[in-house]
Amino acid sequence: MGVTVLQPYPMPEGKSGAHIIDYLGKRLLSLGATHAGQFLVDCETFISTPQPHNGTPGRAVHVLHNSEYPASTFSIIDSGTGKQVSLVADSIFDLLMLKMTNTFTSKKQTKIESRGARFEYGDFVIKLGSVTMMEHFKGILIEIEYKSCMILAYCWEMIREMLQGFLNINVGKDFPTYFATQTIMTAMGQQQLHAKHNDLYEPTDTVKQYLEQFTNYRKHVSMHGSLSGTSGIQQPVHMSSSPVMGAAGGLVLIRS
Amino acid sequence: MASVSSARESLSHALNNRFLPNLEYLLQGSILDSAVEHLMHRLKGLCDNVDTSPETFHDLEVCMSLRQPNSNQPLLLRVRRALGRDAPFQMRYLGQPEVDQRRPTLVRSCMDCACTNGILEFLTEMGFRLEFEYIAKGYMFRKGRMKITVSKLIKIIPGKQQDMANEPISQSYIVELSVVAPTGQENVGEEMRVFAEQLKPLVQLDKIDYKRLGSMP
Repeated sequence: MGVTVLQPYPMPEGKSGAHIIDYLGKRLLSLGATHAGQFLVDCETFISTPQPHNGTPGRAVHVLHNSEYPASTFSIIDSGTGKQVSLVADSIFDLLMLKMTNTFTSKKQTKIESRGARFEYGDFVIKLGSVTMMEHFKGILIEIEYKSCMILAYCWEMIREMLQGFLNINVGKDFPTYFATQTIMTAMGQQQLHAKHNDLYEPTDTVKQYLEQFTNYRKHVSMHGSLSGTSGIQQPVHMSSSPVMGAAGGLVLIRS
Repeated sequence: MASVSSARESLSHALNNRFLPNLEYLLQGSILDSAVEHLMHRLKGLCDNVDTSPETFHDLEVCMSLRQPNSNQPLLLRVRRALGRDAPFQMRYLGQPEVDQRRPTLVRSCMDCACTNGILEFLTEMGFRLEFEYIAKGYMFRKGRMKITVSKLIKIIPGKQQDMANEPISQSYIVELSVVAPTGQENVGEEMRVFAEQLKPLVQLDKIDYKRLGSMP
């Protein structure tokens, strides 16, 4: 395992997702990468009903799986106050979540996944994922992993060069936003600047980057939904069933 | 090329094909401190892992509860942490015990899940509250797939250092014989009954009906 960067691929006008994936795959192969299996990252979100009488805010528990770590379940809880706590557990955790369906209900309509082909090129692993939510295509996420390094700051330039060269897209010089320096609270309650790009990379970081992107895709849907929404009941744009919009809208409210 | 199956698919596959251990068969008993040495000798003679000295453990168990709407019973999850060594936290769900007269042991659904050390904070954020906690310290033996523990339960006195406040709950050790097996393996109970017979009269292992204990003062 090494540092992994997740990069959304800008969709050119008038091209289908399958066409782009095909083009990128061919490009990787012709440059010398080898095809090495398939991958899947999925995310399901459970929402708790807020209980105003005892001051409990609504919380969202995101449960993710990554085929690269098939025995683990990753979960991230959004407490509604901006605080995030993450957990890695055995995959039986999924069954435990089902025990809590009275409190945490699954928002099935926002189940989202990225799946596709996996390529290897020397120390790099490249995954071309097409993102779908409820069988609807949402976009393309490219995951690139550099296996020989655990700290982003040391290998970002190389990863960046690789991304630009292989995929023919322009990538900014700055660290990806996930790794940007941020203010954190220390255990003593003091604010401190934290340079995430100097941290030892963990599998949870990959999953958190996926969650970040998935949330963007979900938000995108709810934005479209509210633009075209008519008199309170929001109308889905790219979706078939109407409860979808309410669910996605709720999610966004809780996250922001 | 075959596509990857999702985690949910492989989990339900394990459940349907009955290789996911999700039932706990349990017998419990207790023995006075003064007699525990005899029991240890007997177990050393009967069990598998006795080439070296018996395996010890020293765990802190924290029980967290979540009140659920539309349900009288709160959901309980037990989180165990090894105090002496660096090991993943263990979270355990235990279902309502089923005390069927025809079965030789108590049977309850059981799910074990190893997790990272953020689990207590995670459960707290989910809305779980601390129900009780205690320390269990003792020995673990194995015989085939059976697990036998002989342990001392230790009270945690709030505000004091854990090592300083070692106050045992009673003058005896709790003895537990358990197997966690997939659904449909009825012969486990019989195997355990036979083994429990061999520990008599030192310790009388029985199925304890918690519901009846609950009404006691």
